[in-house]
Amino acid sequence: MTTAGDLAFLRTVGVFAELEATHLQELAERLRTRALRRGEVLFREGDSGRELYVVRAGTVLVSKSVLGRVEQVLARLGPGELLGDMSLFDGAPRSATATAESDAAVLCLDPEGLRLLTEASPRAAAAFFFQLVRVFTARLRESGNLVAEVTRWGLEATGLDVEESRGR
Amino acid sequence: MARDCRLELLIRGGSGGFELREVASATAYLQFRPQRIADDEWELAEVARGEMGHGTFVLKNCRTDRYLYLSEHEQYIWQLMNGRASVRDIAASYVLRFESLDFDVIPALIAKLQGADLLTLRLASRLREVLARHPANRGVRPLELALRALERMTLASRDVHERFVSAYRLGGRLLFGVPAVAALTVLAAFGLVAASELARVAHAVAVPLARHPILALLAGKALVFATMAAHQVVHGLACVHYGRRVRAFGFTLLHGFLPSFFVDVTDIFMTSRRARVVTAIAGPLVHLALGALFFLVAFYLPGGFLQAFVAASATLQLYALLFSLYPFCFMEMDGYHIIVDLLGMPTLARDSWRFVRFRLAGRLRQRRPLSRTESIWTGYVALSFLSVAFFVVATAVWLVDVIVG
Repeated sequence: MTTAGDLAFLRTVGVFAELEATHLQELAERLRTRALRRGEVLFREGDSGRELYVVRAGTVLVSKSVLGRVEQVLARLGPGELLGDMSLFDGAPRSATATAESDAAVLCLDPEGLRLLTEASPRAAAAFFFQLVRVFTARLRESGNLVAEVTRWGLEATGLDVEESRGR
Repeated sequence: MARDCRLELLIRGGSGGFELREVASATAYLQFRPQRIADDEWELAEVARGEMGHGTFVLKNCRTDRYLYLSEHEQYIWQLMNGRASVRDIAASYVLRFESLDFDVIPALIAKLQGADLLTLRLASRLREVLARHPANRGVRPLELALRALERMTLASRDVHERFVSAYRLGGRLLFGVPAVAALTVLAAFGLVAASELARVAHAVAVPLARHPILALLAGKALVFATMAAHQVVHGLACVHYGRRVRAFGFTLLHGFLPSFFVDVTDIFMTSRRARVVTAIAGPLVHLALGALFFLVAFYLPGGFLQAFVAASATLQLYALLFSLYPFCFMEMDGYHIIVDLLGMPTLARDSWRFVRFRLAGRLRQRRPLSRTESIWTGYVALSFLSVAFFVVATAVWLVDVIVG
């Protein structure tokens, strides 16, 4: 994982954008690439695992179990976007399932790689974590929007449209 | 209803594959299977069948003691809400049965049923509904708070049915039957004679009252209050007579300002029209009986304050009788409930006002005669205005007579 193309790609990933070239090179050497075929599951809701993944190519669906074989799609992640970051920090089981929507490739960063990055350059680590906080914040906002959207869907899907029905 | 909200679902296949499906809320709504509450928790009764042969039904939620009027079409949809038929299925059945469909009927009914806790989903609180409907109106919230404060002034007991049953067994049953009607008729006839005799010397009879005005006022108020309670108790006994439940008895501010006793006999809706009419008329007849009795007593009393007070009380009872039986002006007193039942038009006041306000002018421009129903609606509104006008003119004439005389 040391080609110029790969390094250029990592530069486009928000959480790595502030890393200096040497640190980015070190990080790139610790990343593992995993190829996924369409429909292949990267990890399942409830699995253990502490790796963080960066989508390198293709798209990955993040979904949460609803009922039986049915899952709700929470996010569709493309190149440069992260997944699995929550378990990297809290060590808890995976909160959702990640499935390749198309043939895809992901880069995998384990906790050890993150530790080495932190020790090698606290400044680079600070930049990484700062960017990660921005990612979390954006997701939190999206979650709020999703709750509102799902609530609205529920209201409309069950006819429980209070405003319209009472005003009729 | 904006039906464009979509949910993306991933459905896994047996061989590791998956399928993505977007479900629009409109599609889900058609597949929604409304589930009414358990069969032993609701009761349905036919109230009236109008001139077109269409029935009106009352649906009771036995858990919450809430009642809903349903049209025949709504009643048909209600019967289909068994949790197995989707909204699409219900719409199809409806078309086959009635040969046409205004689709809004189904969501409107679902909302109505949810509001009465007759489906498995619940609406938000009344305050939330009002605020949701009028978010920009600053007056809504204070109004709602004021109404709630007035509602809190209601003192009621919901554990009264057994007491009414006991009262009925201890003699209340004697009020309902041919002998009671005959006795009331005789009493009313004698009372009428006594009243006409007293009327000839009305001024002489009334003069002693003016000597003790405060006492007369307080005693009169107390007596009227007691007879109002008796009025409500007889409603409750009539309800028991027909085998239905008295849900509550208490004191409230009628229309938010008029101190009054009340009895909740809504359960009488689940019986026959005759039972409802008898229950409605039984209360006002208390005033007829007491008025006649007071006139008789006053007739035999010697002249003085007591005779004047009893005669004045008899007159007040007659006013109470007329007020209770007054059916117009959207006040929904006992008289209103009686004519509603006799006409078989449960929403008479609301329909009348809506027709006169929005459709009467158009109907008159068409130069076609009004139907029976439309004539009743128009007549109801006209008589409401005429009766108010009569009251205002009569009061003005009386005041002029008092001031000039």
